[in-house]
Amino acid sequence: MKFDNVALVFKKDWVEISRNWQVLFPVMVVPIVFSMILPLTMLNFPSQTGALGPLQGLFSNLPGTVKALFLNFDQRQVIFYMVAVYFFAPFFLIIPLIAASVIASDSFAGEKERRTIEALLATPVSDSEMFLGKMLVAFAAAMMSTLGSFIVYISVVDTISLGLFDGMLILPNLTWLLLIFLLAPTVSLASVGLTVTISARVKGFREAQQINAILIVPILVVVFGEAWIAVILGPVTIAGLVGVFVLADLLMFLLGVRLFNREEILSKMT
Amino acid sequence: MLGIEAVGLSKTFGSLKAVEDLSLSVPDGQVLALLGPNGAGKTTTIRMLACLITPTSGTALVAGYDVLKQPALVRRSVGVLTESPSLYERLTAEENLEFFAKAYGVTDPAERRLRISHLLEILGLWERRNDRVATYSKGMRQKLAFARAILHKPPVLFLDEPTSNLDPSSARLLREEIHSMSKREGRSILLSTHRLEDVERLADRVIILRNGKLLAEGSPHEVEGRVFAGERFEVKLKAVMPEIRDRLLGVEGVKEVYVDSGAGMLNVTCESIEDVVPRVVRKLVMDGYDVLSVKEVQGSLEDAYLKLVSNDSENVRE
Ligand SMILES: Nc1ncnc2c1ncn2[C@@H]1O[C@H](COP(=O)(O)OP(=O)(O)OP(=O)(O)O)[C@@H](O)[C@H]1O
Ligand SMILES: [Mg+2]
Repeated sequence: MKFDNVALVFKKDWVEISRNWQVLFPVMVVPIVFSMILPLTMLNFPSQTGALGPLQGLFSNLPGTVKALFLNFDQRQVIFYMVAVYFFAPFFLIIPLIAASVIASDSFAGEKERRTIEALLATPVSDSEMFLGKMLVAFAAAMMSTLGSFIVYISVVDTISLGLFDGMLILPNLTWLLLIFLLAPTVSLASVGLTVTISARVKGFREAQQINAILIVPILVVVFGEAWIAVILGPVTIAGLVGVFVLADLLMFLLGVRLFNREEILSKMT
Repeated sequence: MLGIEAVGLSKTFGSLKAVEDLSLSVPDGQVLALLGPNGAGKTTTIRMLACLITPTSGTALVAGYDVLKQPALVRRSVGVLTESPSLYERLTAEENLEFFAKAYGVTDPAERRLRISHLLEILGLWERRNDRVATYSKGMRQKLAFARAILHKPPVLFLDEPTSNLDPSSARLLREEIHSMSKREGRSILLSTHRLEDVERLADRVIILRNGKLLAEGSPHEVEGRVFAGERFEVKLKAVMPEIRDRLLGVEGVKEVYVDSGAGMLNVTCESIEDVVPRVVRKLVMDGYDVLSVKEVQGSLEDAYLKLVSNDSENVRE
């Protein structure tokens, strides 16, 4: 595999995407919703009612050290802390999944639809170079949107917590740093690999999106569950999950390249 | 080194035989034209040879590499003008060529820039090089796709309908370019076309396909010759009776007679005009016809082609 060629495909797709609003729009909107609009409403809402409500379940699962910390907090602070640090954590694994899904779905299916795939397939760029280049584009966009969301989110949270906790900044902590910089990338890479694999085998963008939507629902459920467990159980669990997903990424890439049947793409187009 | 050498290529899509047992060869410096009605299998043939689809059966060597066993090496050694231009609409003309030049391994930036600007220049696209392809006309896209195909100077070229969508002067420009690539630079070129002019001006050899099968093969001149199998002349009469055909077929040396009663024309194929014209005229006069004129017909590829593809009779294979 020549990395020059991977970079070549990456750069070409990157430029194309940066000029494609249909693809760019969801990549930008999703993070704004998850990092600003949702947190701002959620974080303000419980502070007014002052009830623990649906967070009760989450609360009972928290480790003793955290519960001990809460002894010094008033009710509003407890709720804010729980929502900001625990409740929103899974969303930051969802952001890269959704952001990447649009771009990854477009990767090969979009080229088929726009009838550009033939010239690409005719080049000496190898299957794995093409595949990796396209995966990395979706991945890069996903991570940019996750990082952007993360920065916006901690700004929102810390601005509020500055006043609420007497100058204390509650994010980021180690768990969140691992979540954003290790778990989000590895989870997103696996889903990108899966989506690109699908994209290479279907006829168009729409079809790729539909299959992706069907697959993503169970994945989201698992991700939500795992993310809560991970943030509650802390850094060691996250490190373990990262290990699992690194393996999954590798397998997904190899499987994707294996299933990528270059000479069948044009035969099955019509 | 042999440019293209295919043996027994076939491709089936489901139950449809798109190409059937096709063998062909294109030596260095030669142009082979594929001719045939829509759906004859020209594009499918080109795609198989360019390693874009796998043949159902048969093999081919392209630029000395096996299309089944060494597809990566084949792809590196060929340029393909695809049937649809296959250009990135959101990229500019220059960005498109830049991408493909790198993909084909033109790594030296100075060389790359030189080739790109040279091609854009001669194809008249230089002024528009920074415009996105989305804003290009059909013919401009066609020219840009052509530039992409020859950018890396491959020894073997596949050109699927290179002159379609082009105005007459652009078509001529491309023909000249193709001609010089084969004759001056020694590249092997396989092209498909619907323009018989392309074949007559460019092709060393031509293959006529119909329903995936080879109908005729040879130099354009040979194909005309084989289809009409002899020399031809036309006789214009004041009036024509249908039974004239049988009478003339009885004249020594006459091989075939077509009668166009509406126009009062006879089209006669024979071994030698010199011997047969006097005999035919004598016969016509004796039978009471008024002969208005007699004219020798130059064989044209167009006539041959039309006759071949419309004719449901036996193949005119060698
Ligand atoms: N991917 C495909 N799936 C199914 N059938 C196909 C496919 N590609 C081509 N065919 C069929 O194979 C036959 C040959 O098609 P091909 O495109 O090679 O014809 P062609 O000679 O290039 O025609 P044209 O002059 O219109 O370009 C046609 O009947 C076509 O419908
Ligand atoms: Mg065609």
